[in-house]
Amino acid sequence: MKKALALMLAGALSAGLLAGCGSTGAASGNTATGENSSAAAGSGDLTMSWWGGDSRHEAYQNALAAFTEKTGMTVSTHYGAWSGWEDQTSAALYSGNAEDVMQVNWNWLSQYSGDGSKFVDLNEYADIIDLSQFPESTLEACTVAGKLQAIPVSMTGRIFYWNMNTFKEAGLENYPTTLDELYAAGEAFKTNLGDEYYPLAMGEYDRMILMTFYLESTYGKPWVEDNTLQYTVEEIATGIDFIQSLEDNHVIPSIQTMNAAGIDANNSIDKSEQWINGMYAGIFEWDSAPVKYRDALADASGFIVGDEIKFGDKANGGFSKVSMGLAITETCQNKEAAAELINFLLNGEGAAILGSECGIPNSAAGLAAASAVDGAVEALVEEANSKVMAFVDFQLDPVYESTDLKANPGGVYADVFGGYSYGEYTDSTKAAQDLYDGVSDALAELGA
Amino acid sequence: MSTASVKTGRSPLKKWCDENTGLFFLIPWILGFLIFKAYPFASSLYYSFTNMNFFRGISEYGIMNYVEIFTEKDTTTALLITFKYAFITVPLKLIFALFTAYILNFKIKFVNFFRTVYYIPSILGGSVAIAVLWRALFRDTGVVNTILGFVGIQGPDWLADRTWALFIICLLRVWQFGSAMVLFLAALKGVSVDLYEAATIDGASKTRQFFSITVPMITPVIFYNLVTQIAQAFQEFNGPYIITGGGPRNSTTLVALLVYNYAFKSNEMGMACALAWVMFVIVMVLTVIAFTSQKHWVYYAD
Repeated sequence: MKKALALMLAGALSAGLLAGCGSTGAASGNTATGENSSAAAGSGDLTMSWWGGDSRHEAYQNALAAFTEKTGMTVSTHYGAWSGWEDQTSAALYSGNAEDVMQVNWNWLSQYSGDGSKFVDLNEYADIIDLSQFPESTLEACTVAGKLQAIPVSMTGRIFYWNMNTFKEAGLENYPTTLDELYAAGEAFKTNLGDEYYPLAMGEYDRMILMTFYLESTYGKPWVEDNTLQYTVEEIATGIDFIQSLEDNHVIPSIQTMNAAGIDANNSIDKSEQWINGMYAGIFEWDSAPVKYRDALADASGFIVGDEIKFGDKANGGFSKVSMGLAITETCQNKEAAAELINFLLNGEGAAILGSECGIPNSAAGLAAASAVDGAVEALVEEANSKVMAFVDFQLDPVYESTDLKANPGGVYADVFGGYSYGEYTDSTKAAQDLYDGVSDALAELGA
Repeated sequence: MSTASVKTGRSPLKKWCDENTGLFFLIPWILGFLIFKAYPFASSLYYSFTNMNFFRGISEYGIMNYVEIFTEKDTTTALLITFKYAFITVPLKLIFALFTAYILNFKIKFVNFFRTVYYIPSILGGSVAIAVLWRALFRDTGVVNTILGFVGIQGPDWLADRTWALFIICLLRVWQFGSAMVLFLAALKGVSVDLYEAATIDGASKTRQFFSITVPMITPVIFYNLVTQIAQAFQEFNGPYIITGGGPRNSTTLVALLVYNYAFKSNEMGMACALAWVMFVIVMVLTVIAFTSQKHWVYYAD
């Protein structure tokens, strides 16, 4: 009897593992970092979710309060940091528990609703949402499976940001604008400040994006076109060599060095002591992201937007993309009200309250409303966005950001760039082959 | 119609209800078990033989997931790391728990205070706050390396070195020995004092008494702790998820974390289910081995 009971006990303990793997995907809702708070404002007429930093949360809440005041409709909210957000969002979408209005990453439209089953066709609500305020090209980018599945909030791209206080301590009065100046900055930081100081810090995904900028500039062609990778293994290998040259020249710390400092997939650079205290003096980030990096600094007086760097002579290189959109889920019970909320946030008074918290508004009316309010559009974001949009040559393929490629750990980018930095590859050609195979597989599986 | 029901005037339904009243009290638990345990348990077995993806559905049936588990690098590595983790943490945790319980079984001052102090990590150990604290302790300029620096030792990159990263995950688990300790403490209190008195009269040393009296008498609790700790170790999730995120370079990606990654990051539910079932079989096999072996080393007084 004792044996039977104990066996049942052991079985029950193990079954707990399996029970978590049923098909009904309830989102865990937690992230390991403890950064991801969520809040519900009680049951309302609508529900809405978004990810972001504290300032975005505050801006959304203020905008939603204004919406309630104007329409009498209440909105329950669910929000948190990016870390772990997609995990719970995908499960919520699958299980039909997603919020009525969702802030969605651009690639989610094709990744989670490639057949158009998850999000409403917003063309059907053109009488509520003023679509004429948005450029045709961005609406087209959000059209998947013949449905306008999200309204673009903003366009974005990557650019360098520098902490000039540290640069000056290293004896440099100007930030780098060429590759040679980047190398020179690495040398100056090492010589004048020490091994722990770097002019730039980049994780695995940042490296992939910078490599894409480099390759597109050097070879003058987009990374992916017509669902086909446009680069050979040999060409990609030159890109990986380029990234490694940044490590070798003390421009960027190795992934191992960053991991040792506590920076990893769950803990971004802005939360590290190295960034806060200026030991890492540069980042290559989205044009909508500078505020959180600036605000994290102990002394933010030297934080500025840099310039894009042209690495080759065939093109400027680089890409822009729809940063995010607002979508209405098919499970929403009050789609007209949801459409009204989206119009309020992107074209109406809400846009003035949100300002540049989600990037420079893509809506002409939204941008005008935000610009009319002093301080609503962050000068830093506006400057970064204008520099990015003036520079980049190419559009991004949505598969570029798919989970199979971008996940960390487990994604192709993390495996290749993390592995190469950790010395797991004997040469860049092998790493390039893995990247080529991974991207090609993802395109074959997920591409249009 | 039975004679009894005629005599009592109860209908068969009423009689059945009266005789099975307890069942009604059990219904909430039974429903919970069926919905939240039994159904997912069974459905996970079904899905493990499919390539089910949240958003792409099922297009293939077969044993491909199981083949992949034993041939792909990420899964075989995760299995090996999980075995390593379990075989490091389970014995260490039991030894620490037994040793501490043995000390706390003596009549010493403030013993209740110490029992509480040692038990607290079991309550706090799996929490996010402790895991965040662990990160702060073991980062390159963290408290541990600072203390090591005071005595002239250059501490390793705990969070960036594959070996040391697994070590700190193991350390977190071993630190949570309190619950096992409480069980050991209860078992130690149940060992008859007469045995120790007889052994003392016979001239047995404390060490000899420990290994010849204490350990044999508490083997049922050692056995219980062993089985439960093995099952829990193979399911460890919080530590690696929060402290290292499975890194560096997947060196702390235990199977439970990989199951999560497949299920909620890649949305490959079929693969996640198959991996969970492999874990289930491994835990069951180890449990059966433990049960089979107990006749050689576990002493039941009755």
